[in-house]
Amino acid sequence: MNLRPTTGRDVLPVSEAEINRLTVELDELHHDESVPALRSSVQEWIEINHDRMRAGESSALPVAPLTSPMAGAISRRGLLIGTGAAAIGGLLLAACGSSAKSATTTTGAASQPSSPATLTGDLKVAALAASLENLAVYAYGAGIKAAQAGKLGSVPPAIVTFATTAMAQHTQHGAAWNAALTAAGKSRVTETDPALTPTVNQMFGQVTDVAGLAKLALELETIAGQTYQAGIAALSSSSAIKTAASIQPVEMQHAAILNLVLGNYPVPNAFNPTADARSTSDLGK
Amino acid sequence: MMRRRTRGQPDIDTGALAPLLEESQDLHSDSMTATSSSLAEMVELGQESRARGASDPDETEAFVAERNRLMPEAFGGKILAAAGAGTALTALMASKAFASSDTDIQMLQTAASIEVLAVATYQTALTLPFIGGASANGVVKAFAQMTMSQHTQHQQAFNAAITQLGGKQQTNPDPVLLKVVDAAKPGLTGPGPVVALALELEQGAAETYVANVGALSNANARAVTASIMGVEAQHAAILRAVQALLEGNAPQLIALPPSPLSSLPAAAGSVGFPAAFFPTNDARPATEGALS
Repeated sequence: MNLRPTTGRDVLPVSEAEINRLTVELDELHHDESVPALRSSVQEWIEINHDRMRAGESSALPVAPLTSPMAGAISRRGLLIGTGAAAIGGLLLAACGSSAKSATTTTGAASQPSSPATLTGDLKVAALAASLENLAVYAYGAGIKAAQAGKLGSVPPAIVTFATTAMAQHTQHGAAWNAALTAAGKSRVTETDPALTPTVNQMFGQVTDVAGLAKLALELETIAGQTYQAGIAALSSSSAIKTAASIQPVEMQHAAILNLVLGNYPVPNAFNPTADARSTSDLGK
Repeated sequence: MMRRRTRGQPDIDTGALAPLLEESQDLHSDSMTATSSSLAEMVELGQESRARGASDPDETEAFVAERNRLMPEAFGGKILAAAGAGTALTALMASKAFASSDTDIQMLQTAASIEVLAVATYQTALTLPFIGGASANGVVKAFAQMTMSQHTQHQQAFNAAITQLGGKQQTNPDPVLLKVVDAAKPGLTGPGPVVALALELEQGAAETYVANVGALSNANARAVTASIMGVEAQHAAILRAVQALLEGNAPQLIALPPSPLSSLPAAAGSVGFPAAFFPTNDARPATEGALS
């Protein structure tokens, strides 16, 4: 299998305009449908918490003060940026890209500092998910920087598009979980999964070409898809389950395309396994 | 190149793709272990639930409310628009008769009916010369064969889950989608229309299961469904990529891996995953394939 891109003047037989048209259509579909749907799930989660608080019930999902800016509604900007921050021992995302940097520099919520290790129930699953999304953003960001620096050889345009799009989607996934955390009065998780980060760093240190980067990305996407699979069974809140369910297939789609690029069969399993799922113990106890 | 022929089936090319498919089967065996575990747990929970009596009225009411909320959006898809099946099913969904039945079993029966139709559709496609015959792209042919096999396993898993929860297995296709597929058959004159039809079915299946995961009350029914929804989404991702290459008049790039990678246009890198959050607008109504 030869994954190294050719450097010659290949004929570009595909109409870029045609595929761009498809991409624009699909992007419009995303903005019209999926983000509002996700916003609805997270908003529902917040409202459930508020209802429980009003009723004086103890809840597995601690709630945010009703005066919180997040209490009224979640905006698209809110989903993409979030508020507050928590440190869990992984890498700070500020180091790996402008969007991540903006996430760490935005403040203003009524959330109180909290360690993910002290969270319980659905909130701890949300923190784990956010930390995994952060790790994916970090890895793709580092890969893009390495490519831009010429450290991976010639990088095909489609691979660049894949990495930038996947990174943007992981950023949105992380922001969705952080929106739920801050709405519950907890700090946003801005660091990477502390248990997995050293391994990823070690693997990234050995990446010398596009194929190596794709293999690393495939590992992360597989872990994410399987962690969401396990998370769906562990979560108790219906709206949290819906959020996880809306993200898991997307991670698996990333994995399918990576398998295709690597020359592997793109849909290897009839059923998504959970053997590689991460545990909330990654966040400490 | 080794070829084998099965009665009633198209030729199966087991040449260069054989090692990949074998590896895939090994991986699949591992994943089946996890799903079998979920099914076993479902048996126990389902039996416990039935031992306690009928389904929880509050649970049923919550389910109906949730699916009713989704119903208007469910008719936005192309397939549904073609099917023209909206109001009657919406009313049926909200009726007392359905609200009082075991909604988890109904959702699983609908899922099984979608899988039955998917298997039949891929089987039909594989009889076409440009999908399963001599003029077919090898990767497209292998994908159709493997995907049909995976849908067969999904159907079996859903029906096993139904049986274990005390319901009746669904072995018939989704009646609404069947009409759509039948109407599409005369137009399947090349790879493009076949891929488009398959994409509609895969996307609809994935969206249905994502919606069901949010609505199922039985934890293990949810786990089984969740283990399948992402696989359908992967089928859709690959079909989107194939569709883009066909429409871009670059069928030679439909290969494992596409070679050379540098020939792929930039946009091809993201065409497979258009949404950061998987939508449910085209989810099928929960009782569409349910048995009375």
